[in-house]
Amino acid sequence: MTKLYPYLAFVKKSFLGLSAYRFNHFMGILNTILRIFIFWEIYRALYGGRTEVDGITITMVATNFILSMGLDSVFFVNDYYLPDRIQNGSIATELLLPVSIHGRMLADNLGHALFQLLFHFVPAVAVSVLFIGIAAPADFSMLLLFLLSALFGYGVLWTISFAAQMLSFWLINVWSIMTIKNVFINVLSGSMIPLWFMPDWMRGVIRFTPFSSIYFTPLQIYLGQLSFSEILHGFLIQFFWIVILLSIGMFLWKKGQKKLVVQGG
Amino acid sequence: MKNDTIYLAGVYTRTIMKSWFQYKVDAVLRSLAVFLREATGIIVIYFTLLKFESLNGWDIHELLFLFSLLFLTYGILIIFFTGLRDFGRTVRNGGFDRFILRPRGLLFQLIFSNADWFAAIGHGSLGIVLFVISAGNAGITWSPGTIIYYTAALIGGVMIQGAIFLLLASLNIYLLETNSLKELFYWNMRKFAGYPVSIFHKAIQFCMIYIVPFAFVNYFPAQYLLRKEDMAYPSIYMYLTPVVGVVMYLAAYGFWRYSIRYYNSSGN
Amino acid sequence: MSFIEVNEVSKAFRVSKRSAGIPGMLANLVVPKYEKKQAVDNISFSIEQGEMVGFIGPNGAGKSTTIKMLSGILYPDTGSVRVNGYIPYRQRKEYVGSIGVVFGQKSQLQWDLPVIDSFELLKAIYRVPDEIYQTNLKRFIEMLDMSGFINQPVRQLSLGQRMRADIVAALLHSPRIVFFDEPTIGVDVVGKETIRNFICELNARDKVTMLFTTHDMQDIEKTCKRLIIIDKGAKVYDGFISGIREAYGTTRQVDVEFVEDCTVKPIEHVEIKELDAPGGRKKRFLFESREMQIDSLMSSLLADYAIRDLTVSEPEIEGLIRKIYNGEVAR
Repeated sequence: MTKLYPYLAFVKKSFLGLSAYRFNHFMGILNTILRIFIFWEIYRALYGGRTEVDGITITMVATNFILSMGLDSVFFVNDYYLPDRIQNGSIATELLLPVSIHGRMLADNLGHALFQLLFHFVPAVAVSVLFIGIAAPADFSMLLLFLLSALFGYGVLWTISFAAQMLSFWLINVWSIMTIKNVFINVLSGSMIPLWFMPDWMRGVIRFTPFSSIYFTPLQIYLGQLSFSEILHGFLIQFFWIVILLSIGMFLWKKGQKKLVVQGG
Repeated sequence: MKNDTIYLAGVYTRTIMKSWFQYKVDAVLRSLAVFLREATGIIVIYFTLLKFESLNGWDIHELLFLFSLLFLTYGILIIFFTGLRDFGRTVRNGGFDRFILRPRGLLFQLIFSNADWFAAIGHGSLGIVLFVISAGNAGITWSPGTIIYYTAALIGGVMIQGAIFLLLASLNIYLLETNSLKELFYWNMRKFAGYPVSIFHKAIQFCMIYIVPFAFVNYFPAQYLLRKEDMAYPSIYMYLTPVVGVVMYLAAYGFWRYSIRYYNSSGN
Repeated sequence: MSFIEVNEVSKAFRVSKRSAGIPGMLANLVVPKYEKKQAVDNISFSIEQGEMVGFIGPNGAGKSTTIKMLSGILYPDTGSVRVNGYIPYRQRKEYVGSIGVVFGQKSQLQWDLPVIDSFELLKAIYRVPDEIYQTNLKRFIEMLDMSGFINQPVRQLSLGQRMRADIVAALLHSPRIVFFDEPTIGVDVVGKETIRNFICELNARDKVTMLFTTHDMQDIEKTCKRLIIIDKGAKVYDGFISGIREAYGTTRQVDVEFVEDCTVKPIEHVEIKELDAPGGRKKRFLFESREMQIDSLMSSLLADYAIRDLTVSEPEIEGLIRKIYNGEVAR
């Protein structure tokens, strides 16, 4: 436990550091609410008075957007944590600190995520629920499993970024790569189009990517769409991706670090 | 004395082009990234319409045409108005003082010494791709008349957004930091603008027409060419885009002139 | 009527006062609160054509604000500025063609491009005729020894090289007046020397009028005859550099080495300090120039003692100016 103490300090520091930018934060919440409302209006027009399409009710669609965009605001990942440090050279001194840089990275993001959960997710989701409405969770145990699955979803999102950040050892400037990576996440994770409505062949492709594990698996658990064995399967898939992506990231990290040492920063 | 203005604009453009070609690979990758980022919404609407077929009576080609107007105007806009988009930074780092010290028009220097070619190519090529896909399939009869109308609407759309940039740039002189205002009044409104305004709540429609008039950038011009049934506004609105553009731009330009005088007397 | 006339000019800034918290921030957006800060306070001076004037003062004294008013970036609140027959802030486009401004801290060169590209752009901006551009360019490149890096991108230049290029950039259109705002900041000793020599020659040969701000007193001493000091927005001194010594540097110091150890009997108005042990051979004599003449001190010493060596030192300008800033000397 004492070993974790410095990381908790980083979580706290990151959490408190955010309260300085109030106006930007306020705009961020507004942004999330607007995004949810735009998709809600689009789907209302698409449904055109129908109550359900392919067995999916409009309330389920609303729940999809509120939860995935709400979680999107919580799932904070700083894509440039490592790239910034490699670009300005401070990575060399940070490696000398007696705390793991990966631990710091995670702690920093967790502090941010915690802040977002309290001050972004809660107000944005509250406003959206008030004006749009949301499906209730299937039952209490599903709510708990949803929370657990969402935590793993964050793990998947985080490890994707973790692995991608390692590319900055070779590319230095990774803005384009990160932007393209985020395009894939936005389209394939179901945060902008519920995966129910994806064409079948696309759903086939998405099944072999980590993206549906981020928001869609937790959402399906929340709505009670999955049987017990399917939930277990979902958890295993999430776990699988976290392990794979983390291994890729660590492998690239070792290679990159060697490169760093050879070039002397 | 004024005849060399075009020549100077040419020299500025050549200089920017040269800077841009200093990093070829990065430039290509960046333009591609901007292209894909902006295409996200379109990919999503494409997949969605494979399922639902139409959005308030608009089929996929008609929607793509609506989007194309938004991206084409932005692609043109950003060649000329990057300087105004980034004006806050120019003021803060002293670049604006330098413009004052040169014997040329301030707005002219600001416009021609900057161009975000990444954005211009990313947005512009997306606009062109969408236009090519949709223009033939959306059922528009292209005649000299519609082509003239379309060109005028494009210019009007550029001027409307240019006026918004110019207004926000002017506000920078008083506020120093206007990124949040820009986020609120430009980027958020623009998120709605890809879709037919008729699907939105009345309050949002009001904003899109009378406050930040994105509806005149793409919805009303598209209505003129497509004549969809969801048109709930006077048909005169379909002809107003160039007028709205010119009026807004002149108003913004007046405010800009006034603000520059304030800058000289207040400093920063 | 002088070439540059600054008449009772004042300039105050409104500095926005921030209130804490979201309510305070929203209140600020609606009704902003400001504090007034007097940057320049009733300054007057005039400069003749071809003069080279050093303009110094501590940070925040109002140097940059004054330069900005002289160059037309800012309007004065009260008072008037007239340069070369123009009112800078009223006739901007006509006026700025005849001036050059070098901001040592802010480059006007194109960061990613070779130096020469920035020059070509400036040629077009200032409408410099071909022959004049070529002559100027050739001459400046030679004087500042720039042929080695004229085709290199600015981002690859050292600070000294970049500064030289920036100076040339401000001069390509043959301005009649040049304002230098810290033109040697961050430049090494050799680079500084090159820049100073260049500035002196430009002034001597082309009769370019110059105003020069810096924190390096050597810049001023080696280039200017005249000095204007401002502090807290007000003019503190205006005159020859040598005049500073007369006005403020009244203490003289004579270090004497006697042939043998001795004790000097007290002299009126002179403070004597032992530099060796008390009663030793080396002593320092300090006195005010208005109370004691150096020759009378010398003759009284020589009458009684044998002297091996002596050095008379005047106070350093830099030290005096520090004293002026710190308010240690009466103004």
